Amino acid sequence: MTGSTIDHMVAVTVFLGAILVFIGLFNQTIQTAILYQRHRQLATKCSDLLDNILLNPGYPFDWGKSNCTPTSFGLQDPEFTQYKLSPFSLMRLLSSTGDPVYYAKTGLYYSNITMGFGNFLLLPYTEAINYSTATRLLGTNGSYGFQLNIAPIVKVVISEVQLEDPLTLAIDVTGTGFPMPNAEVTYCFLTVSARAGGGSFPSYEIESGIVTTDEKGSATLSFADVNGETDSYVLIAYAHLAGLTGVGHHKHVTSTKQYIIPFVDNLKERKVLIAHSYDVHYFGPPVAELSYNATFVLLTEDFTLREMPMENSTTGKVGKVNYGEGKPFGVVTIPTYNPGILIITYRKSAVECGVVLMPWGISSMSFPVTFGDDPSSREWVTTDVRQVIVNEIAYQANLALWSLEGYEAIGQ
Amino acid sequence: MMRTIEIFLVIIIITAAFIISSLFAVLPSPRQVSPLNLQRLALTTLQTLDDDYCLSETIFEPDYASSWSKLKIALSACLPPNIVYNLTAYEVSMSGPQLYTPTMSISNAESLGTSSDSASYLTASSNVTFNFTPEKIGEQGEGGTLYLLNCSDSNGWWITGYTAQSLAADLYNLLSPYFKATAIVQNTTQLGQILDGNPLQNESLQHAVIINTFGEAVPIPENYADAYDSNSYAEYCYQLGRRVHRYNWTWVSIVGYPLYYVSNTGYFTGSGDHNTWGIYGMKHVGAGGLNAFLSGLDNQMYSYDGDWITGSPGVVHLSSEALYYCNYYGIYPAQYQTATRALPSSVTSTYDLTISTYIIDPVDNWNAGAVYHHAVNGTFLALGLTRIPDIRLTALSLLSDYKPRLYRSEYTASGTSRLVVLQLGQAGGI
Repeated sequence: MTGSTIDHMVAVTVFLGAILVFIGLFNQTIQTAILYQRHRQLATKCSDLLDNILLNPGYPFDWGKSNCTPTSFGLQDPEFTQYKLSPFSLMRLLSSTGDPVYYAKTGLYYSNITMGFGNFLLLPYTEAINYSTATRLLGTNGSYGFQLNIAPIVKVVISEVQLEDPLTLAIDVTGTGFPMPNAEVTYCFLTVSARAGGGSFPSYEIESGIVTTDEKGSATLSFADVNGETDSYVLIAYAHLAGLTGVGHHKHVTSTKQYIIPFVDNLKERKVLIAHSYDVHYFGPPVAELSYNATFVLLTEDFTLREMPMENSTTGKVGKVNYGEGKPFGVVTIPTYNPGILIITYRKSAVECGVVLMPWGISSMSFPVTFGDDPSSREWVTTDVRQVIVNEIAYQANLALWSLEGYEAIGQ
Repeated sequence: MMRTIEIFLVIIIITAAFIISSLFAVLPSPRQVSPLNLQRLALTTLQTLDDDYCLSETIFEPDYASSWSKLKIALSACLPPNIVYNLTAYEVSMSGPQLYTPTMSISNAESLGTSSDSASYLTASSNVTFNFTPEKIGEQGEGGTLYLLNCSDSNGWWITGYTAQSLAADLYNLLSPYFKATAIVQNTTQLGQILDGNPLQNESLQHAVIINTFGEAVPIPENYADAYDSNSYAEYCYQLGRRVHRYNWTWVSIVGYPLYYVSNTGYFTGSGDHNTWGIYGMKHVGAGGLNAFLSGLDNQMYSYDGDWITGSPGVVHLSSEALYYCNYYGIYPAQYQTATRALPSSVTSTYDLTISTYIIDPVDNWNAGAVYHHAVNGTFLALGLTRIPDIRLTALSLLSDYKPRLYRSEYTASGTSRLVVLQLGQAGGI
């Protein structure tokens, strides 16, 4: 009888222990499978969401060219089909990378996509579309987080090889890690003259040309009468090969602390504010008045840059700005909604001058856009990629997506 | 002891079950769990390369070495470094057993790895022009004449911004390819001629289509104005209906309340001969004109009825049938229109009419755009939209009802198109 009881107890104990072990084992397998399934669903969602963003212009269709908040979010260029994006809708996205800039004279913060010294794109927060608005309009609010990165495929890097006699600049054209030999490069070289301007305003000269890259994807340009140390200049180069087009720019200025900063004031009215740099970054005395001369250039179908007359705004295309209270900013009006580059030459003194650029539509200067939340602290991030065209410039759109619900929601 | 042994047997069985189920429950590799959408990447790559038709030019380029070398560079430049590709161009051939014959292929790897995906893209040669030949209405049967009222001695109403002559010119461009003969009615005398049953030239009068480009007004010949002036010329509208019935015409009203005024600038020359809105050479008929026309179309005896019968349903939408024919004929008026002179559905029973085509979806028994066929003879197309008329809608309405076929000159892609297939795979990893 005792043996039988012991036998029973041992059997039950072993059985229960075994059952618990097996439940754990089966549960682990099921959990892994569910997790894999969730990740798979996330990847599908990522692809769908990316297409949803890229193949839909949003509503109103021209929200990129207005000040309104769209009621439907999408980046497709409303004038085209397929994966062609609006350079102006992209311009309205609040940048995730650049630090916001505060401009006291308007009392506004500006979204900052600045690509090195003198290449500014500053859009007021009041006109920018922020991440929470986008997630709400896309229907992912609270369920998914994302970061959209739109970067140019073709990189055109310009560097100084020789500073004088003659000034020699090297242009390197690469794709995603591969050089692009035999690419045709159309360039526009603008030199600023502080002395020869009408009155005290700076003047400039534009020189254009075409070169072809060698087997390493490089081309060299020489400019005989330009000194790379004492002269201010800017080179804008468009490289194109077999349907791929990219933009590069390089500049040298002699006035590096006191310069012009353009702020987009009103997208709908195409107004740009011309500000003195000391109103944003104060470097200490002495403070000098800057005179400026604004020019707008368009990229034509044959990849040359064509100057377009500026509209007569309240202050015109030339003017003077200074630091401090009581010194108003300048205003210029971009003459068109065709993408182009606003070139602003400025003059501090008879020897110090410079030039700054602002893209009108992000594609004209190959500016990248990073929009959305930071994916670095997420447990599982899925990505997908598409090739897109933004006003003839080839870009790659990359979407990183993660779930904010359930098991994967960490760091919230 | 036996129970313990049995338990161990159970454990062995469950273990076996777990092992066997684990063998079947194979989890996918991480790449399969979160795959890159290679198909979309391939498609967008091809679209990007063909953005300014560079890809199409390369595919048809006789100098293979140079242009394909550039294409190879561009592919390597735009694809992520871990992506391998194979791009093949196929000639589309109609002869022989094989529809697609490969002409050229480039790749940057010997194999595309364990999994790959592809997208195809059809490129067209820049030397090819695609066009079409429309089937002529009346070619296979009776009729086939299009009359466009272009009377120089009449004024229009509710065609603000246009003249009847400019609308007639636009309609001629849009519709004349679809009709066996197109006749421009240059004045009210010519209109009287066809109303009397005499063709202007040798065109077929029976089964003709007459488009009144004068909006709410209709030109009136002098002899008809003399003869049918009772009830503010409503009787003339009745006679129009009778002619439509007799000759089996299709009468087209392009906008507003049909036959609301009559116009003849040579006849109505008095100081009071205007429509009260400053347009002279015109007489107000009122709502009775349409009622008289419909009774004439139904071959009823003439009796004056001045009741207003149209309604104002507001914003209306093109019907699905009209939308289909927008794509077929390549005519794209706005999908949303505003209707303030829509006919009631009751006219079909009152005048023995059947609606053959809805151009605009009915709203609460109001038909803002429809083609009415009489049970015996005659057709009436009424677009009861508010001004200003969109003449494309008139063209679309007629084509949707007659449905002439379009014969594409190129039904085959042979020799003119090449299929490009880009296959992508991922290198490295598992």
